[in-house]
Amino acid sequence: MSTAEAGRTADALRIVIAEDSAILRDGLAGLLTDRGHEIVAMVGDGIRLSEIVAETRPDVAVVDVRMPPSFTDEGLLAAIELRRKFPATGVLVFSQWVETRYATELLAGGAGGVGYLLKDRVADVREFVDALQRVATGGTALDPEVVSQLFGAARQQDSLARLTPREREVLELMAQGLTNASIATTLTVTERAVEKHIGNIFLKLDLPPSDTHHRRVMAVLRLRG
Amino acid sequence: MTETLAEPTLVLDRPDSRPTAGSVLRAILRAPFQARTWKELAYLVVAAILGCLVLAYLFVGYGVGLYSSILIIGAPLLAGVLLGGRIWGRVYRAVGAALLSADLPAPPNFAARPGLVGWFRSVFTDRTAWRALAFLVAEAVLGVFVGYVVLTVIAVTVFTAISPVPWAVFHPVNVDPQGREHHSMAQFGDYYIDTWPRVLGLAALGVIGCFLLPWLVRAVCWAHRGLMLVLLTPTAGDRRMVELQESRRVAVEDSAATLRRLERDLHDGTQARLVSIAMTLGRAEERLAAGADPAALIADARASSKDAIAELRELVRGIHPPALELGLEPALETLTARCAIPVELRVHLPQRPSPAIEAIAYFSVAELLTNVVKHSGATAAWVSVAPAGAATMMVSVRDNGHGGVRQPGPMGGESEAGADAPTERLVGGGLAGLAARARSVDGNLTVDSPVGGPTNITVTLPIAGPQ
Repeated sequence: MSTAEAGRTADALRIVIAEDSAILRDGLAGLLTDRGHEIVAMVGDGIRLSEIVAETRPDVAVVDVRMPPSFTDEGLLAAIELRRKFPATGVLVFSQWVETRYATELLAGGAGGVGYLLKDRVADVREFVDALQRVATGGTALDPEVVSQLFGAARQQDSLARLTPREREVLELMAQGLTNASIATTLTVTERAVEKHIGNIFLKLDLPPSDTHHRRVMAVLRLRG
Repeated sequence: MTETLAEPTLVLDRPDSRPTAGSVLRAILRAPFQARTWKELAYLVVAAILGCLVLAYLFVGYGVGLYSSILIIGAPLLAGVLLGGRIWGRVYRAVGAALLSADLPAPPNFAARPGLVGWFRSVFTDRTAWRALAFLVAEAVLGVFVGYVVLTVIAVTVFTAISPVPWAVFHPVNVDPQGREHHSMAQFGDYYIDTWPRVLGLAALGVIGCFLLPWLVRAVCWAHRGLMLVLLTPTAGDRRMVELQESRRVAVEDSAATLRRLERDLHDGTQARLVSIAMTLGRAEERLAAGADPAALIADARASSKDAIAELRELVRGIHPPALELGLEPALETLTARCAIPVELRVHLPQRPSPAIEAIAYFSVAELLTNVVKHSGATAAWVSVAPAGAATMMVSVRDNGHGGVRQPGPMGGESEAGADAPTERLVGGGLAGLAARARSVDGNLTVDSPVGGPTNITVTLPIAGPQ
């Protein structure tokens, strides 16, 4: 997937955008259609989002937090509602700032098919589209900022305190939604080493053996505090 | 002083125009039949009864309190009696408002310092309670003793006026020292009122008295009302305190509202534009990598960045116009030059105001000119800044529009005539907000805007800021 052309032929996503700023809405739409994805609908407020998703059943919805009418957190409320009503639709909350409270509320329903990114991340188109793809296919995409805030909020937890610095790093990257391979590249260690760290994390966080994906999600959820 | 609260003033009944013989006669003939007279009479009766209760309260409270002050319960008892004065004050204010139509604002509520000792200190230094107590003493004298005399005079006068009726019905008989019988109701020395002409003559005197009584009642009630105004309403210091609290609230809310507005402007404007530029450049990079032509996207990003710069410049000007560093005059020159209608500017200031005052003056003119352009239909405006007295300056904005702008309410909650503009609930947008801001530095805002125009709005500010 090194070029836009490759992206188009691979898995094109059906996307709904909820964003009140026209510049950003159009910019996002342009960026995603460039990449071969389909924008099935765009709305400017949180109220109509649920209806549109019910109608169009997209793969993923990109949702701004602050939208009309009250310009507070209607986007987040809409996102939580989407996660409850339409588990098959991934929800990527897209905001200009990060609130710990928002992150925990968003993750309260589980860590699958959900993302919370700062709008800055869109500057790196490939990373942003990858994150969107992960969320659409049931994965997680948390902004490093979100993850570090969650770590800060969960500092007092004993189980997290037992992790070594390296294990914490690995958990942070896991929370961002990276695969073992990407984590290995980021930390410049072997994939085997990453697996070993993850095994230790599962052990220290007292996570029961089950399928790996589920355990990864559980580990991330431990951060909610 | 500002004009936030109307000062309660002692006003004698002032006739609307110069009294003539006819108007005086009319007033005298009408007085016994006016509701006001009867309400005041009712007040005198109520005051006499309340006065008795007050006397009992003071005697028992202070008697027992002082007597037992050698014991431990004396101090709490005295404190209770003192605080009770506040409750009596409330009762009298209510009665005064109902029967004397007196405008009696309530003094500040009792505020206790923390701790038991603090509480006692607060009670015994509570000026409002002491003043209420002084009122009770004076009021008891006025209500009970003076009231007793006045009510007696009233009763005698009325009885005299109707005396022919009992005289005719009951046939009273008196015997003088010489043993002669008289058929009379009253006697003055040897002069017996015992014939019809004499009885009717006395009754006529009584009737005349009845027409004069309302003025006696009025005079006594005037004294009662005066006592209440002097002792039961907030002092000048109390009023100043309320004023300062109000202006502090406005200042705090104003700055919070300003920060909120700035955050919103930055979030929706500049921040969003920068994100979109980043996005566009990211796409351009992708296109370049794919061997396509990114020129259109780059042009887009460049246009967007120019918009962002322009927006940021406006925002900066909204926070603190850079020209204000040079002074009010250069800043206003730019402001008026940018106005949509021609504005004539005249600034004459012998000394430079404090920075905060300059900023308030600048933003007042900015807001007023915006209003002129939006609502007044004016084709020209005049802005003048000039000293008004030694320590104050006057900023006025005049236009030749259609007028009809209303003076904003004193508490900053009401909006001006152009109510279509969204108003901040707390501080009050538009004119009310400007007035509140001016008051927060002991200034004020006055509106002179007859329907049909022209409008002249003047903001008066202390040159050196609030003292």
